[in-house]
Amino acid sequence: MNLMTLKRFKNELIILLSLVFVLFAFGYKQQSKTYLNHEKETLTKNIVEIGTVGELKKLWGDKKIGKKLNFFKTIVAKDKVKSFEKRSRKMTASYQNLTVKELNTITKKLFKTPVQITKLSIQESGKEQYTMEFKCKW
Amino acid sequence: MKGMQILNFMGRSNPRVLVHKHMETMEIKETIDIVLTPQFYTFIREMLAINFAYQAKNIAPALFDDYLDTNKSYQYHVYKCGEDWCFFAYDIEEISSFLQSRGIEPYLINKIYFAQELVTYLNKPIHLSDQEALYSIDQTVTVLPQRLLPTDINYAPINMDDVVLKNGVSISSSFDAVIPLKQTIFITVLLLILGGIFILEGERIKDSIANQIATKERLLSKNPKLASSLIRNSQLEKYQPINDQERLKRDTVMMISKMLSNKSQLKNLTLDEKGITVTITTKNDMMKKQLIDQAKKEKFKIVSQEKRQIVLEKKL
Repeated sequence: MNLMTLKRFKNELIILLSLVFVLFAFGYKQQSKTYLNHEKETLTKNIVEIGTVGELKKLWGDKKIGKKLNFFKTIVAKDKVKSFEKRSRKMTASYQNLTVKELNTITKKLFKTPVQITKLSIQESGKEQYTMEFKCKW
Repeated sequence: MKGMQILNFMGRSNPRVLVHKHMETMEIKETIDIVLTPQFYTFIREMLAINFAYQAKNIAPALFDDYLDTNKSYQYHVYKCGEDWCFFAYDIEEISSFLQSRGIEPYLINKIYFAQELVTYLNKPIHLSDQEALYSIDQTVTVLPQRLLPTDINYAPINMDDVVLKNGVSISSSFDAVIPLKQTIFITVLLLILGGIFILEGERIKDSIANQIATKERLLSKNPKLASSLIRNSQLEKYQPINDQERLKRDTVMMISKMLSNKSQLKNLTLDEKGITVTITTKNDMMKKQLIDQAKKEKFKIVSQEKRQIVLEKKL
């Protein structure tokens, strides 16, 4: 193709170049779309992951939770606390002569506390009276 | 250029070459304009009651109908000359071939002018070659054999400064373009706008995840260590099973709690890492049956159901 031919088909060449530009622009748009979908997916996954890990760590990795557990020592009358032992990152609490209401209070409180319950034992000791023991760690 | 007649007329950037049949071969390396002698075009002057050149151009083929060789393909050029319209018919292919034979590549030609425009300068003939001269007869520029002119005639030197040529035609427009210029401009503008829209849209698409990026950055600012997916995975592996297991323990005990009523009573509950065992006593058989149904529904294993006491078990 010599310059003469190029000159002769100048108009067609201009349109062809414009068409190439449009195709390039369309490709750019499509590539942006693909990039967006991929990035959106990755970002959503990352955000969910970061959020979940953050929440889980905050819940189950709280190193200060041990201090809050002293509450179980005073949750019922002193004479009903058979034993209370907190050592290292483990705790054992044992109660006796609990009413149903007291049993429910301790259980609810325990379940709301983010500790790993390794053992929970509830025994009927008399008419509507219970003994309770639980072990937990954090 | 070798031994040639290049007429540098004023007010232009390109040198001009007067093209006639007896011109010598040239060596051209720059863009030029050419002035065609009547040997390369057919000229008609008409007084027509039309106002615009495009109207004149439309009727040009009909005007030349009886004068042109039907085997050739002609292009037409029209401009207003005084009160009349000057029509030119020329065969660009023939001109191109001739120019190539004289060493002028057509792509080096910018504009084509017609010698008819020199009419005001041809009070005296112009010497073209040993045989021919360019002369004006009745306001029409013509190539004449020199033998028809008086032997003692003085040829006019072309005064380059005085020659003004206004009605040139671009060589590219002389060829039959598949797509005319106006349509080319229209289509090109449309395509450029479309391309621009695509690019803008592409940019907008990229910007649309800015919010998510900001959310991610906000979360990371609280826990910078979590930027690493390795750390995230390790933390997830550590805490997710704890979370699942502890929730299951709590949900299971809550389930037992919901199963109890004033006609049933918890006797014993033991929960550890492996599972849960529950002993419940009921006040009547109907309640016992209800409890068993409910326990089965909640996927508890019925370990024993003696008298009005049932023992349920579930692995965690």
